[in-house]
Amino acid sequence: MFKLKVADAKLLRDMATAISILVDEATFKIDPENLKLRAMDPSRVAMVDFEWPKTVFEEYTCTKPTKMCINISELLKLLKRAGKNEVVELSLDEKTGRLQVKITGRYTRNFTMPTLEASEEDVPTPKITFNVKAKATTEGLHQAIEDAQLVSDHVRIQVDTEKLVFHAAGDLMGATIELQKGSDALLDLEAREPSKATFSLGYLSEIIKAASATSDIATLEFSTDMPIKLDFQQTKEGKLTFYLAPRIETE
Amino acid sequence: MYYKPSKNYWRNAVSVSKPLIVLVGPDITEAEKTVREAISQRKTLLVIGNCWVRYQGRARSKLEPGERILIIKEDGSLLVHRSVGYEPVNWQPPGCVFHVQVKNSVLEIRGVRRKPAESVKVFFDRIHMVSALSLVDSGEFALYASEEDMQKAILLKPSLLEEDFKLISYEKKVEPGFVDVYGEDKNGKLVVVEIKRKTAGKEAVLQLVKYVEAIKSKVNREVRGILVAPNIAKDVQRLLVTLGLEFKALDPKKCAEILRKSETRNLETFFTEKNQ
Repeated sequence: MFKLKVADAKLLRDMATAISILVDEATFKIDPENLKLRAMDPSRVAMVDFEWPKTVFEEYTCTKPTKMCINISELLKLLKRAGKNEVVELSLDEKTGRLQVKITGRYTRNFTMPTLEASEEDVPTPKITFNVKAKATTEGLHQAIEDAQLVSDHVRIQVDTEKLVFHAAGDLMGATIELQKGSDALLDLEAREPSKATFSLGYLSEIIKAASATSDIATLEFSTDMPIKLDFQQTKEGKLTFYLAPRIETE
Repeated sequence: MYYKPSKNYWRNAVSVSKPLIVLVGPDITEAEKTVREAISQRKTLLVIGNCWVRYQGRARSKLEPGERILIIKEDGSLLVHRSVGYEPVNWQPPGCVFHVQVKNSVLEIRGVRRKPAESVKVFFDRIHMVSALSLVDSGEFALYASEEDMQKAILLKPSLLEEDFKLISYEKKVEPGFVDVYGEDKNGKLVVVEIKRKTAGKEAVLQLVKYVEAIKSKVNREVRGILVAPNIAKDVQRLLVTLGLEFKALDPKKCAEILRKSETRNLETFFTEKNQ
Protein backbone atom coordinates (compact mmCIF):
# COMPACT_ATOMS: atom_id res chain seq x y z
CA MET A 1 0.00 0.00 0.00
CA PHE A 2 1.26 3.44 -0.87
CA LYS A 3 -0.31 6.71 0.16
CA LEU A 4 0.93 10.23 0.78
CA LYS A 5 -0.49 13.58 1.76
CA VAL A 6 0.96 17.06 1.39
CA ALA A 7 -0.58 20.09 3.05
CA ASP A 8 0.44 22.45 0.28
CA ALA A 9 -0.13 21.42 -3.31
CA LYS A 10 2.60 23.80 -4.44
CA LEU A 11 5.30 21.59 -2.90
CA LEU A 12 4.27 18.61 -4.98
CA ARG A 13 3.67 20.69 -8.08
CA ASP A 14 7.11 22.30 -7.96
CA MET A 15 8.75 18.93 -7.48
CA ALA A 16 6.86 17.41 -10.40
CA THR A 17 7.75 20.41 -12.56
CA ALA A 18 11.45 20.02 -11.78
CA ILE A 19 11.38 16.33 -12.69
CA SER A 20 9.33 16.94 -15.83
CA ILE A 21 12.21 19.03 -17.22
CA LEU A 22 14.06 15.81 -17.98
CA VAL A 23 11.59 12.96 -17.91
CA ASP A 24 8.09 12.45 -19.13
CA GLU A 25 7.51 8.98 -17.80
CA ALA A 26 8.86 8.99 -14.28
CA THR A 27 9.56 5.84 -12.31
CA PHE A 28 9.50 6.51 -8.59
CA LYS A 29 11.07 4.12 -6.15
CA ILE A 30 8.93 3.98 -3.08
CA ASP A 31 9.98 2.44 0.19
CA PRO A 32 8.75 2.84 3.78
CA GLU A 33 11.20 5.70 4.42
CA ASN A 34 11.64 7.59 1.16
CA LEU A 35 10.23 8.56 -2.18
CA LYS A 36 13.02 8.51 -4.75
CA LEU A 37 13.61 9.00 -8.42
CA ARG A 38 16.75 8.90 -10.45
CA ALA A 39 16.50 9.19 -14.21
CA MET A 40 18.21 10.46 -17.32
CA ASP A 41 16.56 12.45 -20.06
CA PRO A 42 16.01 10.57 -23.34
CA SER A 43 19.07 12.18 -24.93
CA ARG A 44 21.20 10.92 -22.03
CA VAL A 45 22.71 14.33 -21.49
CA ALA A 46 21.24 15.16 -18.11
CA MET A 47 20.16 13.31 -15.03
CA VAL A 48 17.93 14.07 -12.07
CA ASP A 49 18.40 12.57 -8.64
CA PHE A 50 15.49 13.24 -6.35
CA GLU A 51 14.74 12.02 -2.86
CA TRP A 52 12.19 13.02 -0.28
CA PRO A 53 12.13 11.36 3.13
CA LYS A 54 8.71 10.61 4.57
CA THR A 55 9.10 13.52 7.00
CA VAL A 56 8.47 15.94 4.13
CA PHE A 57 4.91 14.73 3.94
CA GLU A 58 2.00 15.31 6.24
CA GLU A 59 1.25 11.64 5.98
CA TYR A 60 3.23 8.90 4.28
CA THR A 61 2.46 5.21 4.22
CA CYS A 62 4.31 2.56 2.30
CA THR A 63 4.00 -1.01 3.51
CA LYS A 64 6.38 -2.60 1.06
CA PRO A 65 8.97 -1.21 -1.37
CA THR A 66 7.55 -0.75 -4.84
CA LYS A 67 8.04 1.13 -8.09
CA MET A 68 5.52 3.43 -9.65
CA CYS A 69 5.77 4.89 -13.11
CA ILE A 70 3.53 7.78 -14.06
CA ASN A 71 3.30 10.25 -16.86
CA ILE A 72 4.56 13.28 -15.03
CA SER A 73 3.08 15.88 -17.38
CA GLU A 74 -0.35 14.29 -16.98
CA LEU A 75 0.09 14.45 -13.19
CA LEU A 76 1.16 18.08 -13.50
CA LYS A 77 -2.02 18.94 -15.37
CA LEU A 78 -3.98 17.67 -12.37
CA LEU A 79 -1.73 19.35 -9.80
CA LYS A 80 -2.02 22.67 -11.62
CA ARG A 81 -5.72 22.60 -10.81
CA ALA A 82 -4.87 22.73 -7.11
CA GLY A 83 -4.53 26.13 -5.51
CA LYS A 84 -1.93 27.15 -2.98
CA ASN A 85 -2.52 25.60 0.45
CA GLU A 86 -4.88 23.02 -0.95
CA VAL A 87 -4.24 19.52 0.33
CA VAL A 88 -3.16 16.81 -2.11
CA GLU A 89 -3.35 13.11 -1.44
CA LEU A 90 -1.88 10.48 -3.73
CA SER A 91 -2.73 6.84 -3.30
CA LEU A 92 -1.87 3.88 -5.42
CA ASP A 93 -4.49 1.22 -6.01
CA GLU A 94 -2.28 -1.79 -6.52
CA LYS A 95 -5.10 -3.96 -7.86
CA THR A 96 -6.09 -1.69 -10.70
CA GLY A 97 -2.65 -0.06 -11.05
CA ARG A 98 -4.25 3.37 -10.94
CA LEU A 99 -3.11 6.38 -9.02
CA GLN A 100 -5.72 8.37 -7.20
CA VAL A 101 -5.12 12.10 -6.90
CA LYS A 102 -7.34 13.78 -4.36
CA ILE A 103 -7.28 17.55 -4.03
CA THR A 104 -9.07 19.08 -1.09
CA GLY A 105 -9.65 22.79 -0.66
CA ARG A 106 -12.89 24.62 -0.86
CA TYR A 107 -14.26 21.48 -2.48
CA THR A 108 -12.98 17.99 -3.10
CA ARG A 109 -11.75 16.61 -6.39
CA ASN A 110 -10.86 13.00 -7.06
CA PHE A 111 -8.87 12.15 -10.15
CA THR A 112 -7.54 8.80 -11.20
CA MET A 113 -4.75 8.20 -13.66
CA PRO A 114 -3.08 5.05 -14.98
CA THR A 115 0.37 3.97 -13.90
CA LEU A 116 2.78 2.78 -16.58
CA GLU A 117 5.29 -0.01 -16.94
CA ALA A 118 8.08 0.89 -14.48
CA SER A 119 11.53 1.31 -15.93
CA GLU A 120 13.97 -1.40 -14.91
CA GLU A 121 16.94 0.82 -15.48
CA ASP A 122 19.16 1.59 -12.51
CA VAL A 123 20.90 4.85 -13.19
CA PRO A 124 24.26 5.06 -11.44
CA THR A 125 25.85 8.25 -10.12
CA PRO A 126 28.51 9.73 -12.40
CA LYS A 127 31.97 9.20 -10.94
CA ILE A 128 33.64 12.56 -11.06
CA THR A 129 36.28 14.30 -9.00
CA PHE A 130 35.07 17.84 -8.68
CA ASN A 131 37.64 20.61 -8.42
CA VAL A 132 35.18 23.43 -7.95
CA LYS A 133 32.43 23.88 -5.44
CA ALA A 134 30.36 27.05 -5.60
CA LYS A 135 27.40 28.00 -3.51
CA ALA A 136 25.12 30.49 -5.18
CA THR A 137 21.61 31.79 -4.87
CA THR A 138 19.28 30.20 -7.38
CA GLU A 139 18.09 33.70 -8.20
CA GLY A 140 21.64 34.80 -9.05
CA LEU A 141 22.20 31.75 -11.21
CA HIS A 142 18.89 32.22 -12.91
CA GLN A 143 19.76 35.80 -13.83
CA ALA A 144 23.24 34.86 -15.08
CA ILE A 145 21.76 32.15 -17.30
CA GLU A 146 19.06 34.50 -18.63
CA ASP A 147 21.77 37.00 -19.54
CA ALA A 148 23.85 34.39 -21.30
CA GLN A 149 20.82 33.12 -23.19
CA LEU A 150 20.42 36.47 -24.90
CA VAL A 151 23.50 35.83 -27.00
CA SER A 152 24.08 32.09 -27.30
CA ASP A 153 22.71 28.61 -26.76
CA HIS A 154 25.68 27.45 -24.72
CA VAL A 155 27.78 28.90 -21.93
CA ARG A 156 31.27 28.37 -20.64
CA ILE A 157 31.44 28.32 -16.88
CA GLN A 158 34.85 29.27 -15.62
CA VAL A 159 36.26 29.55 -12.15
CA ASP A 160 39.36 30.89 -10.49
CA THR A 161 39.84 31.40 -6.77
CA GLU A 162 37.82 34.61 -6.59
CA LYS A 163 35.01 34.47 -9.08
CA LEU A 164 32.59 32.40 -11.09
CA VAL A 165 32.37 33.56 -14.68
CA PHE A 166 29.75 32.74 -17.29
CA HIS A 167 31.02 33.33 -20.76
CA ALA A 168 28.67 33.08 -23.72
CA ALA A 169 29.61 33.66 -27.32
CA GLY A 170 27.06 33.69 -30.09
CA ASP A 171 27.51 34.29 -33.80
CA LEU A 172 27.26 38.03 -33.36
CA MET A 173 27.09 38.87 -29.71
CA GLY A 174 28.96 37.89 -26.60
CA ALA A 175 28.39 38.10 -22.87
CA THR A 176 30.52 37.77 -19.75
CA ILE A 177 28.79 37.56 -16.41
CA GLU A 178 30.88 37.58 -13.26
CA LEU A 179 29.82 36.52 -9.82
CA GLN A 180 32.35 37.59 -7.16
CA LYS A 181 33.03 35.37 -4.20
CA GLY A 182 31.23 36.66 -1.14
CA SER A 183 28.75 38.71 -3.17
CA ASP A 184 25.01 38.40 -2.70
CA ALA A 185 24.81 35.98 -5.60
CA LEU A 186 27.89 33.87 -4.89
CA LEU A 187 27.95 32.90 -1.24
CA ASP A 188 30.97 30.67 -1.31
CA LEU A 189 33.57 29.38 -3.73
CA GLU A 190 36.19 26.70 -3.36
CA ALA A 191 38.39 25.92 -6.33
CA ARG A 192 41.24 23.46 -6.18
CA GLU A 193 42.37 24.58 -9.62
CA PRO A 194 41.09 26.96 -12.29
CA SER A 195 38.44 25.01 -14.19
CA LYS A 196 36.13 25.53 -17.11
CA ALA A 197 33.49 23.59 -18.94
CA THR A 198 30.81 24.39 -21.49
CA PHE A 199 27.15 23.48 -21.15
CA SER A 200 23.97 23.75 -23.12
CA LEU A 201 21.97 26.76 -21.96
CA GLY A 202 18.72 25.10 -22.92
CA TYR A 203 19.20 22.44 -20.28
CA LEU A 204 20.77 24.75 -17.69
CA SER A 205 18.06 27.35 -17.87
CA GLU A 206 15.20 24.86 -17.66
CA ILE A 207 16.81 23.05 -14.75
CA ILE A 208 17.59 26.21 -12.82
CA LYS A 209 14.25 27.81 -13.55
CA ALA A 210 12.28 24.82 -12.37
CA ALA A 211 14.48 24.02 -9.39
CA SER A 212 14.45 27.66 -8.19
CA ALA A 213 10.82 27.18 -7.24
CA THR A 214 11.89 24.54 -4.73
CA SER A 215 15.12 26.07 -3.51
CA ASP A 216 16.90 29.36 -2.78
CA ILE A 217 20.45 28.06 -2.70
CA ALA A 218 22.25 25.83 -5.15
CA THR A 219 25.64 24.18 -4.92
CA LEU A 220 27.46 23.82 -8.22
CA GLU A 221 30.28 21.36 -8.59
CA PHE A 222 32.36 20.80 -11.69
CA SER A 223 35.80 20.19 -13.18
CA THR A 224 37.31 21.01 -16.53
CA ASP A 225 35.33 19.35 -19.31
CA MET A 226 33.40 17.21 -16.86
CA PRO A 227 29.70 17.13 -16.06
CA ILE A 228 28.31 19.73 -13.69
CA LYS A 229 26.43 18.76 -10.58
CA LEU A 230 23.73 21.15 -9.43
CA ASP A 231 22.43 20.46 -5.99
CA PHE A 232 19.40 22.45 -4.93
CA GLN A 233 19.06 22.77 -1.19
CA GLN A 234 15.46 21.96 -0.30
CA THR A 235 13.47 24.09 2.11
CA LYS A 236 12.25 20.99 3.85
CA GLU A 237 14.39 17.89 4.01
CA GLY A 238 15.17 15.98 0.85
CA LYS A 239 17.40 16.19 -2.16
CA LEU A 240 17.09 17.52 -5.67
CA THR A 241 20.26 17.16 -7.70
CA PHE A 242 20.88 17.44 -11.41
CA TYR A 243 23.86 16.36 -13.49
CA LEU A 244 24.52 17.79 -16.93
CA ALA A 245 27.12 16.51 -19.40
CA PRO A 246 29.47 19.09 -20.92
CA ARG A 247 29.67 20.09 -24.54
CA ILE A 248 32.82 19.36 -26.41
CA GLU A 249 34.84 22.52 -26.93
CA THR A 250 35.18 23.00 -30.64
CA GLU A 251 37.44 26.02 -30.64
CA MET B 1 35.12 -5.34 -54.21
CA TYR B 2 38.35 -5.53 -56.19
CA TYR B 3 40.46 -2.44 -56.76
CA LYS B 4 42.76 -2.48 -59.70
CA PRO B 5 45.97 -0.79 -58.58
CA SER B 6 46.71 2.34 -60.53
CA LYS B 7 50.05 2.79 -62.22
CA ASN B 8 51.22 5.12 -59.51
CA TYR B 9 50.35 2.68 -56.86
CA TRP B 10 53.48 0.63 -57.16
CA ARG B 11 55.71 3.63 -57.33
CA ASN B 12 54.40 4.78 -53.96
CA ALA B 13 54.34 1.39 -52.45
CA VAL B 14 56.47 0.47 -49.49
CA SER B 15 58.70 -2.07 -51.14
CA VAL B 16 59.85 0.15 -53.99
CA SER B 17 60.34 3.76 -52.98
CA LYS B 18 60.80 3.51 -49.24
CA PRO B 19 62.64 0.70 -47.58
CA LEU B 20 60.85 -1.59 -45.27
CA ILE B 21 63.04 -2.37 -42.31
CA VAL B 22 62.63 -5.60 -40.43
CA LEU B 23 64.97 -6.74 -37.70
CA VAL B 24 64.40 -10.22 -36.43
CA GLY B 25 65.74 -10.98 -32.95
CA PRO B 26 67.91 -7.83 -32.75
CA ASP B 27 69.96 -7.03 -29.67
CA ILE B 28 68.82 -4.05 -27.62
CA THR B 29 71.31 -1.52 -29.08
CA GLU B 30 70.48 -2.51 -32.65
CA ALA B 31 66.78 -2.17 -31.87
CA GLU B 32 67.30 1.19 -30.20
CA LYS B 33 68.94 2.63 -33.32
CA THR B 34 66.10 1.52 -35.57
CA VAL B 35 63.43 2.68 -33.14
CA ARG B 36 65.08 6.09 -32.80
CA GLU B 37 65.34 6.53 -36.57
CA ALA B 38 61.82 5.36 -37.22
CA ILE B 39 60.40 7.81 -34.68
CA SER B 40 62.44 10.76 -35.94
CA GLN B 41 61.43 9.99 -39.54
CA ARG B 42 57.81 9.61 -38.48
CA LYS B 43 57.46 6.09 -39.72
CA THR B 44 55.03 3.53 -38.50
CA LEU B 45 56.91 1.43 -35.99
CA LEU B 46 56.28 -2.06 -34.76
CA VAL B 47 58.17 -3.57 -31.83
CA ILE B 48 57.39 -7.07 -30.66
CA GLY B 49 58.98 -8.50 -27.55
CA ASN B 50 58.95 -8.93 -23.81
CA CYS B 51 57.94 -5.68 -22.19
CA TRP B 52 56.36 -3.98 -19.19
CA VAL B 53 54.45 -0.72 -19.14
CA ARG B 54 53.91 2.14 -16.71
CA TYR B 55 51.29 4.79 -17.27
CA GLN B 56 50.94 7.96 -15.28
CA GLY B 57 48.60 10.84 -15.92
CA ARG B 58 44.87 11.02 -15.43
CA ALA B 59 45.23 7.71 -13.62
CA ARG B 60 48.03 5.29 -12.95
CA SER B 61 48.48 1.84 -14.37
CA LYS B 62 51.10 -0.82 -14.34
CA LEU B 63 51.39 -3.72 -16.75
CA GLU B 64 53.60 -6.59 -15.65
CA PRO B 65 56.16 -8.11 -18.07
CA GLY B 66 54.87 -10.17 -20.98
CA GLU B 67 55.21 -10.55 -24.73
CA ARG B 68 53.39 -7.83 -26.58
CA ILE B 69 53.15 -5.75 -29.71
CA LEU B 70 53.98 -2.05 -29.51
CA ILE B 71 52.78 0.14 -32.35
CA ILE B 72 53.83 3.74 -32.78
CA LYS B 73 52.10 5.44 -35.68
CA GLU B 74 53.36 8.28 -37.81
CA ASP B 75 51.00 10.76 -36.11
CA GLY B 76 52.59 10.02 -32.75
CA SER B 77 49.93 7.73 -31.34
CA LEU B 78 50.99 4.72 -29.34
CA LEU B 79 49.33 1.36 -28.78
CA VAL B 80 50.36 -1.66 -26.77
CA HIS B 81 48.53 -4.81 -27.82
CA ARG B 82 48.48 -8.09 -25.97
CA SER B 83 48.02 -11.38 -27.76
CA VAL B 84 44.30 -11.30 -27.03
CA GLY B 85 41.52 -8.73 -27.24
CA TYR B 86 40.84 -6.18 -29.94
CA GLU B 87 41.57 -3.17 -27.78
CA PRO B 88 45.05 -2.08 -26.81
CA VAL B 89 45.92 -2.49 -23.15
CA ASN B 90 47.77 0.83 -23.07
CA TRP B 91 47.48 3.65 -25.53
CA GLN B 92 48.15 7.31 -26.15
CA PRO B 93 46.36 9.52 -28.68
CA PRO B 94 48.18 11.22 -31.58
CA GLY B 95 50.71 13.94 -30.85
CA CYS B 96 52.97 12.26 -28.35
CA VAL B 97 56.60 13.18 -28.03
CA PHE B 98 58.85 10.16 -27.72
CA HIS B 99 62.09 9.60 -25.84
CA VAL B 100 64.16 6.52 -26.45
CA GLN B 101 66.98 5.31 -24.23
CA VAL B 102 68.81 2.17 -23.16
CA LYS B 103 69.57 1.57 -19.49
CA ASN B 104 71.03 -1.69 -18.16
CA SER B 105 70.25 -3.45 -21.47
CA VAL B 106 66.62 -2.41 -21.27
CA LEU B 107 65.13 -0.37 -24.09
CA GLU B 108 62.82 2.32 -22.75
CA ILE B 109 60.38 4.06 -25.06
CA ARG B 110 58.51 6.89 -23.42
CA GLY B 111 55.53 8.67 -24.98
CA VAL B 112 54.66 11.99 -23.33
CA ARG B 113 51.69 14.29 -23.71
CA ARG B 114 51.65 17.77 -22.22
CA LYS B 115 47.96 18.41 -21.90
CA PRO B 116 46.71 16.51 -20.07
CA ALA B 117 50.13 15.70 -18.62
CA GLU B 118 50.54 11.98 -19.03
CA SER B 119 53.22 9.56 -20.01
CA VAL B 120 53.49 5.94 -21.00
CA LYS B 121 56.79 4.14 -20.54
CA VAL B 122 57.33 0.85 -22.33
CA PHE B 123 60.38 -1.21 -21.29
CA PHE B 124 61.70 -4.04 -23.49
CA ASP B 125 64.29 -6.51 -22.25
CA ARG B 126 63.96 -9.00 -25.13
CA ILE B 127 62.97 -8.10 -28.64
CA HIS B 128 61.69 -10.56 -31.22
CA MET B 129 61.14 -8.15 -34.03
CA VAL B 130 61.36 -4.49 -34.95
CA SER B 131 59.85 -3.13 -38.10
CA ALA B 132 59.74 0.40 -39.46
CA LEU B 133 57.35 1.11 -42.31
CA SER B 134 56.32 4.07 -44.40
CA LEU B 135 52.77 3.32 -45.31
CA VAL B 136 50.76 5.11 -47.94
CA ASP B 137 47.11 5.27 -47.06
CA SER B 138 44.80 7.90 -48.49
CA GLY B 139 41.70 5.75 -48.86
CA GLU B 140 38.55 7.04 -47.25
CA PHE B 141 36.82 5.16 -44.50
CA ALA B 142 33.11 4.97 -45.05
CA LEU B 143 31.11 4.41 -41.91
CA TYR B 144 27.58 3.21 -42.23
CA ALA B 145 25.42 3.57 -39.22
CA SER B 146 23.80 0.66 -37.46
CA GLU B 147 20.16 0.64 -36.45
CA GLU B 148 21.32 1.67 -32.98
CA ASP B 149 23.21 4.63 -34.42
CA MET B 150 20.08 5.72 -36.27
CA GLN B 151 18.21 5.55 -33.00
CA LYS B 152 20.93 7.52 -31.19
CA ALA B 153 20.89 10.18 -33.90
CA ILE B 154 17.12 10.61 -33.50
CA LEU B 155 17.51 10.83 -29.72
CA LEU B 156 20.17 13.47 -30.17
CA LYS B 157 18.26 15.38 -32.79
CA PRO B 158 14.54 14.59 -32.65
CA SER B 159 13.85 17.04 -35.48
CA LEU B 160 15.28 14.41 -37.86
CA LEU B 161 11.88 12.78 -37.50
CA GLU B 162 9.81 15.94 -37.80
CA GLU B 163 9.72 19.48 -36.46
CA ASP B 164 8.83 19.85 -32.79
CA PHE B 165 8.92 16.15 -32.12
CA LYS B 166 9.39 15.65 -28.39
CA LEU B 167 11.01 12.53 -26.99
CA ILE B 168 9.42 10.60 -24.19
CA SER B 169 11.53 7.48 -24.07
CA TYR B 170 13.24 4.84 -26.11
CA GLU B 171 13.45 1.06 -25.95
CA LYS B 172 10.09 1.40 -24.29
CA LYS B 173 8.73 -1.96 -23.22
CA VAL B 174 5.29 -2.75 -24.58
CA GLU B 175 3.57 -6.11 -24.69
CA PRO B 176 5.02 -7.52 -27.92
CA GLY B 177 8.54 -6.06 -27.54
CA PHE B 178 10.42 -2.77 -27.38
CA VAL B 179 9.55 0.48 -29.11
CA ASP B 180 12.67 2.03 -30.67
CA VAL B 181 11.67 5.63 -30.06
CA TYR B 182 8.57 6.94 -28.35
CA GLY B 183 7.48 10.54 -28.24
CA GLU B 184 4.90 13.20 -28.82
CA ASP B 185 4.26 15.35 -31.89
CA LYS B 186 3.49 19.05 -31.89
CA ASN B 187 -0.24 18.33 -31.75
CA GLY B 188 0.09 16.24 -28.62
CA LYS B 189 -0.36 12.92 -30.43
CA LEU B 190 1.80 10.07 -29.23
CA VAL B 191 4.29 8.76 -31.75
CA VAL B 192 5.67 5.22 -31.97
CA VAL B 193 8.77 4.89 -34.13
CA GLU B 194 10.21 1.72 -35.59
CA ILE B 195 13.66 2.01 -37.16
CA LYS B 196 15.06 -0.19 -39.92
CA ARG B 197 18.54 0.14 -41.33
CA LYS B 198 17.66 -1.33 -44.69
CA THR B 199 14.67 -1.13 -47.00
CA ALA B 200 11.64 -1.54 -44.79
CA GLY B 201 9.79 -4.79 -45.43
CA LYS B 202 6.41 -6.14 -44.51
CA GLU B 203 7.58 -7.52 -41.14
CA ALA B 204 8.63 -4.05 -40.03
CA VAL B 205 5.16 -2.73 -40.79
CA LEU B 206 3.47 -5.56 -38.92
CA GLN B 207 5.80 -5.04 -35.98
CA LEU B 208 5.00 -1.34 -35.89
CA VAL B 209 1.24 -1.91 -36.09
CA LYS B 210 1.47 -4.23 -33.06
CA TYR B 211 3.29 -1.59 -31.04
CA VAL B 212 0.82 1.11 -32.04
CA GLU B 213 -2.11 -1.11 -31.03
CA ALA B 214 -0.41 -1.94 -27.72
CA ILE B 215 0.07 1.74 -26.89
CA LYS B 216 -3.44 2.65 -28.06
CA SER B 217 -4.92 0.15 -25.62
CA LYS B 218 -3.31 2.03 -22.73
CA VAL B 219 -3.89 5.68 -23.49
CA ASN B 220 -6.83 7.73 -24.57
CA ARG B 221 -4.86 9.81 -27.02
CA GLU B 222 -4.27 9.48 -30.71
CA VAL B 223 -1.26 7.37 -31.55
CA ARG B 224 0.76 7.66 -34.75
CA GLY B 225 3.12 5.01 -36.02
CA ILE B 226 6.15 6.03 -38.06
CA LEU B 227 8.42 3.62 -39.86
CA VAL B 228 11.90 5.05 -40.28
CA ALA B 229 14.20 3.49 -42.89
CA PRO B 230 16.37 4.54 -45.84
CA ASN B 231 13.55 3.52 -48.18
CA ILE B 232 10.49 1.33 -48.49
CA ALA B 233 9.23 -1.19 -51.05
CA LYS B 234 6.20 -0.03 -53.08
CA ASP B 235 3.83 -2.79 -52.02
CA VAL B 236 4.90 -2.35 -48.41
CA GLN B 237 4.13 1.36 -48.69
CA ARG B 238 0.54 0.45 -49.71
CA LEU B 239 0.20 -1.84 -46.71
CA LEU B 240 1.54 0.90 -44.48
CA VAL B 241 -0.99 3.43 -45.72
CA THR B 242 -3.85 0.93 -45.42
CA LEU B 243 -2.93 0.41 -41.78
CA GLY B 244 -2.87 4.16 -41.16
CA LEU B 245 0.86 4.30 -40.54
CA GLU B 246 3.49 6.66 -41.92
CA PHE B 247 6.92 6.38 -43.47
CA LYS B 248 9.89 8.67 -42.93
CA ALA B 249 12.98 8.26 -45.08
CA LEU B 250 16.20 8.55 -43.10
CA ASP B 251 19.66 7.88 -44.45
CA PRO B 252 21.91 5.89 -42.08
CA LYS B 253 24.93 7.80 -43.40
CA LYS B 254 23.34 11.08 -42.35
CA CYS B 255 22.80 9.60 -38.89
CA ALA B 256 26.44 8.58 -38.66
CA GLU B 257 27.41 12.13 -39.56
CA ILE B 258 25.17 13.62 -36.89
CA LEU B 259 26.67 11.33 -34.30
CA ARG B 260 30.16 12.31 -35.39
CA LYS B 261 29.37 16.00 -35.23
CA SER B 262 27.56 15.83 -31.94
CA GLU B 263 28.84 18.45 -29.58
CA THR B 264 27.18 17.45 -26.40
CA ARG B 265 28.63 14.54 -24.57
CA ASN B 266 26.70 11.73 -23.08
CA LEU B 267 26.40 11.56 -19.33
CA GLU B 268 26.88 7.80 -19.44
CA THR B 269 30.52 8.37 -20.40
CA PHE B 270 31.07 9.50 -16.84
CA PHE B 271 29.46 6.59 -15.03
CA THR B 272 32.70 4.65 -14.96
CA GLU B 273 36.02 6.09 -14.00
CA LYS B 274 38.29 6.39 -16.96
CA ASN B 275 41.48 4.46 -16.52
CA GLN B 276 43.36 6.15 -19.26
